Amino acid sequence: MTGVLTRRAFVGCGALALWSGGACRAFAQPQARLAAIDWGMYETAVAIGVTPVAVAERIRLAQVSAVRVPGSVADLGLRGAPNLEALSLVAPDLVLSSNFYGFITPQLERIAPVYARDLFVAGEAPLPKTLVALETLAAQLGMADAGRTRRAGIEAELDALARRAASLGDRAICLLAIGDARHVQMFGADSLYGGVLTRLGLSNGWSEGTRFAFTAPVPLARLADFPDARIVVCGAVPVAVRHALAGSVLWNSLPAVRAGRVHFLPDENPFGGAPSALRLARHVVAALEAA
Amino acid sequence: MKLAAAALLMSVALWGLAAVVALPLSDWPLPWADPLSLRPQQILLAYGQLPRAVVALLAGALLGLSGALMQAVLRNPLADPTTLGVSSGAQLALVAATILWPASLDLGRGAVALVGAGTAACLVMALGARRGFAPVTVTIAGMLVGMLAAAIATALTLSQGYYLLSLVIWNGGALTQEGWSGGLHLGLALIPALLLAGALARPLVVLSLGGAGAAALGARVGLIRLAAMALAVVLSAVVSAEVGLVGFVGLAAPAIVRRLGARTVGQVLMSAPLAGAVVLSLCDSALMAVAALGGPDLPTGALTGLIGGPLLIALLPKLRAIVPPGAEAGDTAPRRAPSPWRRVGVLAVLTIAAAVVTLVAGRGPGGWTVIRGDLAATFLPLRATAILAAAAAGALLATSGAVLQRLTANPMAAPEVLGVTGGASLGYAAVIFLVPEPGPVMLALGCAGGGALSLGLLSVHAMRADLAPARLLLAGLAIGALATAVLAAIMASADPRAWSLLGWMAGSAARATPGSAMLLGVLALVALAASLVAARWLEILPLGPEIARGLGLPVARIRLVLILGAGLATGAASVLVGPVSFVGLMAPHIARSLGLLRAAPFLVASWLTGAALMIAAAFGARTLSYPYDLPLGLFATLIGAPWLFATLLRGRRR
Repeated sequence: MTGVLTRRAFVGCGALALWSGGACRAFAQPQARLAAIDWGMYETAVAIGVTPVAVAERIRLAQVSAVRVPGSVADLGLRGAPNLEALSLVAPDLVLSSNFYGFITPQLERIAPVYARDLFVAGEAPLPKTLVALETLAAQLGMADAGRTRRAGIEAELDALARRAASLGDRAICLLAIGDARHVQMFGADSLYGGVLTRLGLSNGWSEGTRFAFTAPVPLARLADFPDARIVVCGAVPVAVRHALAGSVLWNSLPAVRAGRVHFLPDENPFGGAPSALRLARHVVAALEAA
Repeated sequence: MKLAAAALLMSVALWGLAAVVALPLSDWPLPWADPLSLRPQQILLAYGQLPRAVVALLAGALLGLSGALMQAVLRNPLADPTTLGVSSGAQLALVAATILWPASLDLGRGAVALVGAGTAACLVMALGARRGFAPVTVTIAGMLVGMLAAAIATALTLSQGYYLLSLVIWNGGALTQEGWSGGLHLGLALIPALLLAGALARPLVVLSLGGAGAAALGARVGLIRLAAMALAVVLSAVVSAEVGLVGFVGLAAPAIVRRLGARTVGQVLMSAPLAGAVVLSLCDSALMAVAALGGPDLPTGALTGLIGGPLLIALLPKLRAIVPPGAEAGDTAPRRAPSPWRRVGVLAVLTIAAAVVTLVAGRGPGGWTVIRGDLAATFLPLRATAILAAAAAGALLATSGAVLQRLTANPMAAPEVLGVTGGASLGYAAVIFLVPEPGPVMLALGCAGGGALSLGLLSVHAMRADLAPARLLLAGLAIGALATAVLAAIMASADPRAWSLLGWMAGSAARATPGSAMLLGVLALVALAASLVAARWLEILPLGPEIARGLGLPVARIRLVLILGAGLATGAASVLVGPVSFVGLMAPHIARSLGLLRAAPFLVASWLTGAALMIAAAFGARTLSYPYDLPLGLFATLIGAPWLFATLLRGRRR
């Protein structure tokens, strides 16, 4: 048991030292063992310096997350149906969840207290909430200072990016993910990625509703409604779809495509936390500057 | 012909309405205009809406031809790519390829779809061959294959844990186009298909005399059947690969042309493509017009699915063939057990043993383990809850199935097959969408209400024929198809509530809380007691309504009570563990094969078997891909479907 405690204290100490620069208080106050069901909350916890001991759908998260998912983090199974035995094996002090998984809260509560925040609500911008969550989660864990510092740091970087973007915001941006060769998902104002555009002072081409899904799957042809916009594609495009797009008259006739105003970004975690938002902001500004 | 022309005109008018709303007629581009010179809205018309109209016509024609061929080969007015499971097979192959081997799609979606469609067709034909291609048996086998494929496809989608846009759109069958390639592919398939079908028309006429008669006239029956069936499967795979799951057009087209007076096989084969084209085009244009006028943008496949269910029911009276005596497994009565209650006792011991074993055994990060002492305090309550929930749900479904099988004197009756599960799904969906933040009680009521309602509607329809097994089964499958179509449309709407619906459809015993599991357990006991009270009725009812009336039973009222009870039991079970399939069908079968023919031991044994099956399924779902819980419904289906096929295959030839 001593070995476990030492390692935990060591990790906690390192994380705290990194983010708050404060004294190594972890020895006096052992850090909470967190288990994250929600990916946004996982990133939030990592951002304030506490890497959860377990997360749901670890394999996929490790591929798309803006933060590192160390090998020591256990996998809890599906986000919508986490494995309760795996969850109790890691003996968490607190389970991080969100309104997305409200229907399993009773089961989670049988194992540990649940800390859930409504990060993604239809019609409301998630980015401000994820930024606030940095502070509230930190306060919950008794490390309010770390939360405040981290939020200030992220806000400062977003401000700096917004200043750089100010001279680049000549056109509206259609932020989208490509599903198949005929449909795209648009990131609206109530998505994390859409919120990044707002925060950077850029205008989002897609102003319509998003059918509560934070992203609306629409026919590719709808992009023709935005002749002056830039197209920013988030995430990997499947090989077959890429080939289909290359031969598509409609796609190739889109003004943005003709004029070379299409940017492909690797970001693929639209339900992440502040780190994912920050990563997208960096990518968008860099892409606009390179254009 | 006049009707076809009128419908086509209507379709063109609707399409024109949608197109003109988007772009005034004066701005329409000329066909020879250079795409680079066009404005976006013009390109949209020329490379979006126009090819979509053509694709609707071509896909409809292909599906109509495919259905007509299948119906001619099988001499079965209910055959079509949807009812034979061929479309679902193609869908499963495409879903699996997208998830497991995306690069294969680059080789050609058509090839992938063909593998799936061909496999499904072979499976259904293998079953059909054993039964002399009896229409109802073939259709039932096809719809079971379809259910299995759809269940696996759903599980695969879910096991990804994240939203697969293209799959969801695809499930609904969207005809959206972004160029002429889709239309070109379908057109290239249609022309040789029509020629081949024309060449096959005369041999198929000979075949319509019946296999023996045709062989006597020197026709090579096997070869003709194989060629026509292969052509039909290829056509359906081509459509699946290009536009997705567009159901029931192949069923509707031949039915329409027959109603309009097509008599010979040749006439049906040549006019069904036309009818199919008109039907699908009309559906698609109507949806386009609705969307253009500000309505919801629904996938076309969802609409054809909606008309499919009622159509099947409407076609039923024309079905002359009935289930041939002895065609279904349960008809070969097993020998009655000498001491039934001792067998029931053994079954009870086995069920309890299964519960105990799965309680202490499990899988953790380090592999298979027996529960550790220090973890017992946390693990045992978790596992006990899940096991109780699964067992109670299994027992409820099995009781429901046992009652329905007795009630209808039909060994194929079961909540899943009779569309009760589909009704329960619709009830759940309705509550999710109509009630803001519904609680578990509301959801349970929705599920149970949906289940009872669909069973009630079914019996109202089928009662006229005194619950003739074939009608009941097909009507039930039709309700199931309707539910599937509605659910697919909901999935395609990309609403977050659809996400929770998908989660529920996957089903997990771990979702139960101690309270709800206990409640379900009590319900299961109540159901057992109630069914035993009704044991005398259930003893008499299989003898037929005349005998039952003669013995003084108020048959109509008893039926109503039993049907409502079975519907409620199914609904209650599904709210917790999702729409689990096949347990309600399998458990009574197993009980009967143990020689438990009298009502009381049969009911108790079914109850126990259902519980044991679900305990096993829950254990498999929990451990097979730890820590990723597999959907319980999928696991039950994976156990149940092969067993059911084996039962169907054994059949008469012994």
